[in-house]
Amino acid sequence: MTGVDEAKLAGRAGKGDAEAFGALIELHQAMARRVAYAILEDREDADDAAQEGFLSAWKAIARYDPNKAFRPWLMQIVVNAARDLRRRRRVRAAEPLDKISPAARDDPAREAGDLDLGERLRAALATLPERQRLAVVLFDAEGYAQAEIAALLGIPEGTVKSDVFHGRRALRRVLSTVKEEWDA
Amino acid sequence: MPEHLPLDSARDVELGAALREALAMPFGGAFVNRLRARLSRNRPRSWDEELAGWFWQGLVAAVLVTVLAGWGLSRSAAVADESDTGITSVASQLLEGSTPGTNALLASMTSTETP
Repeated sequence: MTGVDEAKLAGRAGKGDAEAFGALIELHQAMARRVAYAILEDREDADDAAQEGFLSAWKAIARYDPNKAFRPWLMQIVVNAARDLRRRRRVRAAEPLDKISPAARDDPAREAGDLDLGERLRAALATLPERQRLAVVLFDAEGYAQAEIAALLGIPEGTVKSDVFHGRRALRRVLSTVKEEWDA
Repeated sequence: MPEHLPLDSARDVELGAALREALAMPFGGAFVNRLRARLSRNRPRSWDEELAGWFWQGLVAAVLVTVLAGWGLSRSAAVADESDTGITSVASQLLEGSTPGTNALLASMTSTETP
């Protein structure tokens, strides 16, 4: 799908075309759910937040400026929805979720060496502050420019660069360890 | 694996792919279908529908403003009447043999000074 197609779809969706917006959902659902998952660390919550984000975007589609890129506009809404949900969950649980690694939550007795790469990366992500986690996921996994991430998160571009660097360092350690294990 | 500099703007392709895989969510088709079904129920409102949504609030606000303005006008008219009755009451109070109040006296004096 090219950028032109996306702009056309967004233009049609802006005029209330549900079919066009459905195609945009199809196009961006994987990314939106991954980013929501990176924030919430729970698949069901991530799906709820992504769904909430898409519906909010649909309701606000008339306010979308077709001269600007659709993807960052949508992602801003999804990130806000995920953060809102996280805040609500946090209030309910009264416990900071990012202090507990998902692997440890699922099975605290399991040794780190038994986990696969995905589980180890998710556990490593969970140890990072939310902003660093988002910066590295949006930059390396989703291909956003640092300026876009800065605008999306409302922080200076220099902070994004620093967050990406520090977040990436922790994650790359996991990657190297797993690679060494595979080579051995 | 090359170490990235703090201000490096190049992507780590290998890490990016591993992260996408680690964060991948299942059942994309079901997610899309569920959302598509909800789109018609959450249709975005056009500008005239948005405006119509504000109709009752606008009407209530207009009625409130009218009532308040009417009350303000009637109140200022009542104050003017009170000052008029203040002048006449000086005479009536003197006729009745009682001492008129300071306010009534001042009001009667100022009203007689102006042509």
